[in-house]
Amino acid sequence: MSTHPLVIENLTFKYRTRPENAIENISLELKQGELLLIAGASGCGKSTLARCINGLIPRSYRGERRGKVLLHGKDVADLQIAEVAQTVGSLLQDPERQIVASNVFNEVAFGPENLGLPRGEIVERVDQALKRLNIEYLRDRETFNLSGGEKQKVALAGVLTMNPSILLLDEPLASLDPASAHEALEVFRSLADEGKTIVLIEHRVEDAIAIKPDRLLYMEGGKIQYLGAIDNLPKEIDYTQVKLPATWVVQRVKELNQAAETPTPLAVEERGEPLVVFEDVDFRYDEELPFVLKDVNLKIYAGDLIAVLGPNGAGKSTLVKHAIGLLKPTSGRVLVEGKDTRKMSVAQIARALGYVFQSPTHMLYAPTVREELEFGPKNLKYDSAEISKFVNESLSSVNLEEFVEYPPLALSFGQQKRTTIAAVLAMRSKILVMDEPTAGQDFANYTHFMNALCQPSDGAQSILSANFAATLFITHDVDLAVTYANRALVFGDKRIIADGKPQDVLKDTELLLKYRIRPTSLLKLNLDLLPKTGKFLPAEALAAYAS
Amino acid sequence: MNDKSTWEFGTRQVVYGAIGAALYGVLSWVTNIFPLPAAGNITFRPAVAVLIFFGVAYGPWVGLLAGFIGNTLGDALSGWGFYWHWSLGSGIMGLVAGLVMTQISDFRAKDQIIKAAIYGLVGIIAGMLFASLMEKVVGGIDIKTALIGYFVPATIGNVVVVGILLPVLMIAFAAVASRRGR
Amino acid sequence: MLVAWKYRPRNTFIQRLDPRTRLIFLFCVIFGVSIPEIWDYRIVLPLFLVSLTLYLMARIAWKDVKRVWTYILILVVFIVGLNALLSARGGPSSVTNIVSPVIFTVPLKIPFTQLGWDIPVTVSKIWFSFNQMFRMLTMTLLAIPIPYTIDPNIYGTAFRQMGASDKVSFTMDLAFRFLPTFARDFSITMDAQRARGYELESMEGGIFSRIRRLAPLIIPVVMQSTVTGEEVIDAMDLRAFGTNRRTWLKDLKYAPRDYLILGLGIFIFVGCCVLRWGFGVGGYFVPDFFTNLFL
Ligand SMILES: Nc1ncnc2c1ncn2[C@@H]1O[C@H](COP(=O)(O)OP(=O)(O)OP(=O)(O)O)[C@@H](O)[C@H]1O
Ligand SMILES: Nc1ncnc2c1ncn2[C@@H]1O[C@H](COP(=O)(O)OP(=O)(O)OP(=O)(O)O)[C@@H](O)[C@H]1O
Ligand SMILES: [Mg+2]
Ligand SMILES: [Mg+2]
Repeated sequence: MSTHPLVIENLTFKYRTRPENAIENISLELKQGELLLIAGASGCGKSTLARCINGLIPRSYRGERRGKVLLHGKDVADLQIAEVAQTVGSLLQDPERQIVASNVFNEVAFGPENLGLPRGEIVERVDQALKRLNIEYLRDRETFNLSGGEKQKVALAGVLTMNPSILLLDEPLASLDPASAHEALEVFRSLADEGKTIVLIEHRVEDAIAIKPDRLLYMEGGKIQYLGAIDNLPKEIDYTQVKLPATWVVQRVKELNQAAETPTPLAVEERGEPLVVFEDVDFRYDEELPFVLKDVNLKIYAGDLIAVLGPNGAGKSTLVKHAIGLLKPTSGRVLVEGKDTRKMSVAQIARALGYVFQSPTHMLYAPTVREELEFGPKNLKYDSAEISKFVNESLSSVNLEEFVEYPPLALSFGQQKRTTIAAVLAMRSKILVMDEPTAGQDFANYTHFMNALCQPSDGAQSILSANFAATLFITHDVDLAVTYANRALVFGDKRIIADGKPQDVLKDTELLLKYRIRPTSLLKLNLDLLPKTGKFLPAEALAAYAS
Repeated sequence: MNDKSTWEFGTRQVVYGAIGAALYGVLSWVTNIFPLPAAGNITFRPAVAVLIFFGVAYGPWVGLLAGFIGNTLGDALSGWGFYWHWSLGSGIMGLVAGLVMTQISDFRAKDQIIKAAIYGLVGIIAGMLFASLMEKVVGGIDIKTALIGYFVPATIGNVVVVGILLPVLMIAFAAVASRRGR
Repeated sequence: MLVAWKYRPRNTFIQRLDPRTRLIFLFCVIFGVSIPEIWDYRIVLPLFLVSLTLYLMARIAWKDVKRVWTYILILVVFIVGLNALLSARGGPSSVTNIVSPVIFTVPLKIPFTQLGWDIPVTVSKIWFSFNQMFRMLTMTLLAIPIPYTIDPNIYGTAFRQMGASDKVSFTMDLAFRFLPTFARDFSITMDAQRARGYELESMEGGIFSRIRRLAPLIIPVVMQSTVTGEEVIDAMDLRAFGTNRRTWLKDLKYAPRDYLILGLGIFIFVGCCVLRWGFGVGGYFVPDFFTNLFL
C-alpha cells in the first residue's frame, strides 16, 4: 500500500439532494511536499472534492460516496474527526467565517484547545505558528478589526497549530487585494518547501502559477479534464472559464484560429456640465479619528465609465458614499446635479445616483424578484404605471425575466448580483455606482456579467450606455479597469493620486506598486502592444495584434 | 435538515445558538437607538421575532441559548446591567418556540407558519409570565402590578412583532434553504 | 454602527475580583432578600449600603450611566407607584392588614363616568413604597456594573468553571465573537436600503405597517447569518470541536479577596434565611416613628 500522504482512488460522490454526481471517478496521488493547483469553473466540484478529503463528506454532508480517500494509507471515513483534523488542515474561502474567537491568540489556540492539550503546549504551539507566519505582532489584537489579509494569516495560523501534514486551501485569495494575495501565495509556497503537501483550489490561475505549483488539476463537470505539469501549457483549459495569463489566452486564440471578438467600443467622451462634483472634500468618521479623505476634488461627466483602484482601507467606499449622501463631508462640499448633498436626503439623491453595494446579501429581502425591484421606485414615489414599466424594462436588460416570480434569495450568486443591478436600474437613476461588482464571483460568471453590462448586443446599446449617463465602479481587479473602463482613478493617501485614461494612469508601474496594485499580464501585454492597438483591449482581441 | 431530533446538542446547536444570541442582542440594542413608537408602556422589540425564528428553525436548545445569552448581550450593550430573570424569560420564549421544530418541514406552507406562530405565542406568554412573576418575587410587587406593569405590555408588544415578522422571516428562509442542503 | 463594549479595564478592587465571585455574590443578595421575603428596613438599609459601597468602588463614570439611571429611576418610581395604588390586598399581605391611618384617597375613575374605585393611601403603603424602592435599588446597584466591569472575553471561561458544559460555555464566547460582525452587517444593510430610497425615520402609517417596514433591514442580516452558520459549523468541526474535553486557556483562580466577598455573600444569604425563618425577624412592619410623623 502506498504511503503517500494523500491517495484518492476512483472517488465519486452524489449529494442526497441532487440527482447527478457532483464529482466522478477522481483518482490522484500526492507526494510529500507537493503543491497541487485545482482549477475549474464554478460548480465543477472543487469544494466537493475538498470536503471528501477533509472528511466533511461523509460526516456532515450526506449522499452516496464510492471509491477511497486515503490519508497516509488510512481511509478518511474510518478515522476519528480529531485524527483527520490533525492530518488535514483546511482553510475555507472566507476567513471572516472561519474565525471563531474574538481575539487572535484564542483563535489560533482553538484547535489545540479542542484536542484537550495541556496549556503549556498550546501556548508553545500558538507562538510557533504566529512566528512561522511572521504575525507575532497580531497576538493580542481583536480578530474583528483585522484587515482581510491579516485575517487570512490568522486563520492559517489556527490551522497550522494542529500540525497537519496536508493543507487544503479552498479559494483562499477571494477577498484579498492583489498585493495581499501575492503575499499569501508566497507563504503557501514556502510551506510546501518545508514538506507540507498542499492542495490549492483557486480560480485565479494566473496569480497561482506565480508560485510554481508542481501540478495542475483541471476539472469540468465533476470529472478530471487535465492532470499534469504546468509548463507544457495545457490545451484542455478553457480560457473563458478560469483566469489564465494573457499570453496563454493569446496563444490559444491563435491556435484555435478564432475570429477575435469585436473590441469593446468605449463610450465616447462628451464633456458638458459635470454630474457629480467633489470640491475640496475632507472627511473623518469621528472627531477623534484621523481623516479618511483630505482635499478630494473630482468631477464626473456624462459618458464616464470610471474604475477606482486602491489598497484595502484607503477610503474608496468612503469616497463613493459621499456621492449618494450617506456620508456628508466634514468640510468642502459634494454636488449632485448642481445641488449640495447636505441639502438633500439620501432618497432624493437616489433619483440621480444609484448605488449597488458589494454583496447582494446585504440588500435582498423580498419574497419575489418583482417586489424586490419595486422597492426602490415605490420608496421614490413613482406612480404605479411607471413602476411596472421600469421594473419590466430593467428585468429584460439584465435577462432575468424568467425569474420574476422567484424569490431572489433562492437565486445563484451571479443571478442575485444581476437582481441588485436591476433593482437600481428600476429606480431610473442617471449615474450608476458599484462597489466591487465582481468580488466573490468566478471568472466566467463575472466576465459574462460585465460583458452584459458594458457591451452592446445585437446592435442595441449596452445596458450601461442605454440607461446611465455615467458609471463608476470600485475594484481590486486591474483587468477590469483595463478591459471595461474609459477612465481610471487611483485612490490612496486620503486623496486621488491619479486620474485619466486607463492607458495613461496604468502605465506608471511604480505608482501602481506603491498603492498595492500589481500589474497583470494583461496590462503588461496591453502596454507592450499599445503602439499597435492605440487602446486597451481584452486578451482575446489582442491576439490579432500579438506577433 | 431532515431527521431532526428535538434535543440534539452538537456543534450545530452551539453555532446557531451563538448566532441567534448575537443577532438578538444586536437587534435589541439597535432598536434602542431607533426607538419604535411606544404606546403607553408597550415597547416593541422586533428582535423577538428573530429569536422565535431561530427557535423554530433550529430547535429548543438554540432558542434557549439565543434568548438567554442574547438578552444578556443586549442589556450589556445598552449598559442596563444584568437581569437574569428577563434573560431567562427570553430563553424560555425561544425554547418553547423551538419545540415546534420537528413539525416544520416547509417554511412557506401556511399551516406550518401558523403552527410556528402558535408555538411562538405560547413561548412569549410562558417567557414573559416567568419574568414578570420573578419580578414579583424579586421586586416584591404584587401580582396585579406584575401583570399590568410588566406582563401585559411586554406580551402585547412581542406578539404583535412576531405576528408580523415571523412569517416574513420563515418565507425568506425557505428560499435560502432551497439553495443548500446537507 | 460599531459595537462599543461598556467594559473598560480599570484598576479597581471590583475588577480584580473573579467574575464568578461577582455573579455568585449578586445571586446571594437577590435570593437572600427575595426568597425569605425580607422587608425589615433594619436589614434592607444595611444591604442597600453594602451595594452602594460596592457600586461606588467600581468607579464607573457618571456620564456613562446617566441615561441608564434616569431610565431605571423612572421605572422604579412608576412600578412602585403603580404597586402602591393597585396593591389593595397585595405585597406581603401585612401591608394592608395592618390597621393604618388613611392619609388621603386617590379616586381612580374611568373618565367621564362615575365608575371606578377610591383607593385609600395609608401610612403603611407609603412606608412600604420606601422599603420597596430601596430593596429594588439594592439589587440594581449590583446588576448595573456587571457589563461595565467584567471583560466580555472571560464569560465563557467563567461559566465553564462554574460547571456549565464546554459547549454551552463556548456558545457564550462565540456569541461575543459574532456581535460586532452582525452590527456591521446591519449598518451596511441600512446604508444599502437607504440608497434605494428607504427611510426608517419616516413617520407614515400605523404601528403595524411601521413594524412591517423593518423587514428590509432585518431579513438580509438574518438570512446572511443563517448561511454563515453552515460555514462556521464546518470550520469548527474541522478543528475538532466537541471531540474531546476542551482545555480552556484562561484559568480563573479565587484569591483571598474573592473568599472575602464570597463569604460576605453567603453570610448575607444564610443570615437572611436564619433571621426570617429561625427568629421570625425581617418581615414587614411599620415602625412607630414613621407612623408618628403623620399623627
Ligand atoms: N451542500 C450541497 N448540497 C447539494 N448540492 C451541493 C452542495 N454543495 C454543492 N452542491 C452541488 O454540487 C456541485 C459541485 O459544487 P462545488 O461546491 O463542489 O463546486 P465548486 O467547484 O467548489 O464551485 P465554486 O467555484 O462555485 O466554489 C454543484 O452543482 C453544486 O450545486
Ligand atoms: N463607519 C466607520 N467608522 C469609523 N471608521 C470607518 C468606518 N468605515 C470605514 N472606516 C475607516 O475608514 C477607512 C477607509 O475605509 P473604506 O471602507 O472607505 O476603505 P476602502 O478603500 O473601501 O477599502 P476596501 O478596499 O477594503 O473596501 C478605513 O481605515 C476604515 O477602517
Ligand atoms: Mg467551492
Ligand atoms: Mg470598500
